[in-house]
Amino acid sequence: MKIPMSLQVNGEMYQVNVSIKKTLLDVLREDLALTGTKKGCDSGECGACTVLMDSKPVNSCLILAVDAVGKQISTIEGIGGIMELHPIQEALIAHGAIQCGYCTPGIVMTAKALLDSNPHPTETEVREGIAGNLCRCTGYVKVVEAIMDVSSR
Amino acid sequence: MSDFNYWKPENLLDAVSLLANMEDQARPLAGGTDLLVKMKKGPINWKGIVNLKGLTELKGINYEGETITIGALTQISSLIENPLVSIHFPVLVDAARSLGTPQVRNLATIGGNLCNASPAADVALVLLMYEARLLIMGPSGSRKVPVQEFYVGPGQTVLQQGEILTTVEIDLPPLNSKGVFYKHGKRKSHEIALVNVAVLLTSQPETKQITRARIAVGSVASTQLRIKDAEDSLTDSLATLSAFEKAAKLAKEAVNPIDDVRSTASYRKQMVGILTRRALQEAWGGEL
Repeated sequence: MKIPMSLQVNGEMYQVNVSIKKTLLDVLREDLALTGTKKGCDSGECGACTVLMDSKPVNSCLILAVDAVGKQISTIEGIGGIMELHPIQEALIAHGAIQCGYCTPGIVMTAKALLDSNPHPTETEVREGIAGNLCRCTGYVKVVEAIMDVSSR
Repeated sequence: MSDFNYWKPENLLDAVSLLANMEDQARPLAGGTDLLVKMKKGPINWKGIVNLKGLTELKGINYEGETITIGALTQISSLIENPLVSIHFPVLVDAARSLGTPQVRNLATIGGNLCNASPAADVALVLLMYEARLLIMGPSGSRKVPVQEFYVGPGQTVLQQGEILTTVEIDLPPLNSKGVFYKHGKRKSHEIALVNVAVLLTSQPETKQITRARIAVGSVASTQLRIKDAEDSLTDSLATLSAFEKAAKLAKEAVNPIDDVRSTASYRKQMVGILTRRALQEAWGGEL
C-alpha cells in the first residue's frame, strides 16, 4: 500500500509516494537520496540512523515514515556544509575522533541535540548522552573529548 | 518487512472498534521500538497495524491531589524531564533513565513498556512497586486493573481483544518513604536487566520502625513479582541488618528464574538476595 505524504526535512518540504511499511530511514536514503544518515543494525541498537525529530534524537529505523509527517526532521545534511563545518564536526576532526566514520553522522546529530538542550554538559552527561551511538572502531574517548571541547567554547 | 494493512485512528473509540473488529489480526503501534523490530525480523502472524500515535489525548502527565496520571502514550523521556515526576516518584525516573538509549527513550512509551509484558521491563517494575493502577478502554467500556493483576505470562497481559491501555495512575507514597531501583546487567546503558529490583520503605526515623515495605523483582519469573512475604516480614519491624537479610532471603526463595543467553537461573536467584538486601539498606539510608 503506497500513500502520498509530505515530509519536512532540514527545512525543506518533500512530497513522496511510498509504501506504508517504509521507515523514515529508508525514505531518507532511498527516496530523498539523503544518504548521510546511515543504516547500521536497522533495529534501534546502534544509533547510526539517528536524526532529530522536533529537535530530539531518535532512531529513524524505528519510525514509519508516515509518522514523521508534520514533524521537523533534521539530518546530517542540514548540519554545516563542506565549506563550513558545524563546530561539532570541526571538533571531531580536530580530536581525531573519526575512524571508519560510519557512526559519525549519528554521533553529530546526538551531540547537537545534547548541546542544544544542555550547552555545558558534564563528562558523565556526555557519556550518557551518546550511549545510544555505538562505534565499533571503539574510539569513545576522543568523541567525548571533542564534545566537551565544543561545550567549552 | 511483510505487508500489512494500516489504520491511524484519530480518537480512542475508533481505535478500540478497529482493534475489536480485527479479531487478533491487528496490533496497536505506540512507540514502535519493539513492534517495528519484531515486524522486521518477521514472520508475523498479524495482518494489520492500528497506529495509536494520533491519539493525543493519551499523552501527558497530570497531577491531581494525591494522584499522578500518566497517559499511556507518554514517552519515557517525558518521565525523566517532568519536574513533578522527579520530585514525587524519583525511582520512576531512575528506571526510565536506565531504559534503552536516549534515542529509544524519545520514542518508547510507558504504555508500551507495560503492554509488552517483558519480565525484564524497567519502568513497569517500578510501577508494580508503586502499586500503579491501569485504566483500560475496551468495546464494552472502561475498567481499572492494578499492575499486579495485569500480567498473565511473558508477553501476555489481561488485555482482551479491542482493549487499549489508556492511563497509568499512581498515588503519592506515604510520608517518610524512600525508594530504590537497581538494574543489574553487564553494561550500564543499553541493557536488558539480568535482574532488576525496586523497593520502597516507609519508616519512622526516630524509632527506627518500618511501617510499610514494597518489594518488586524482575527478570526472575514468567512475570514481574511483588514479594509479599518479604514485605510482610518487614512491616512493623525495626530496621536492622538481620531484618533486611531475612526479607532478602524470602525474596530469593520466592523467585523462579530460568537459564537463558543472558544469564543463569542460579546466578539470578543469588543476585535477587544480594540486590534486595542492598536496596533495602540504601532505602533505609540510616545506621543499622
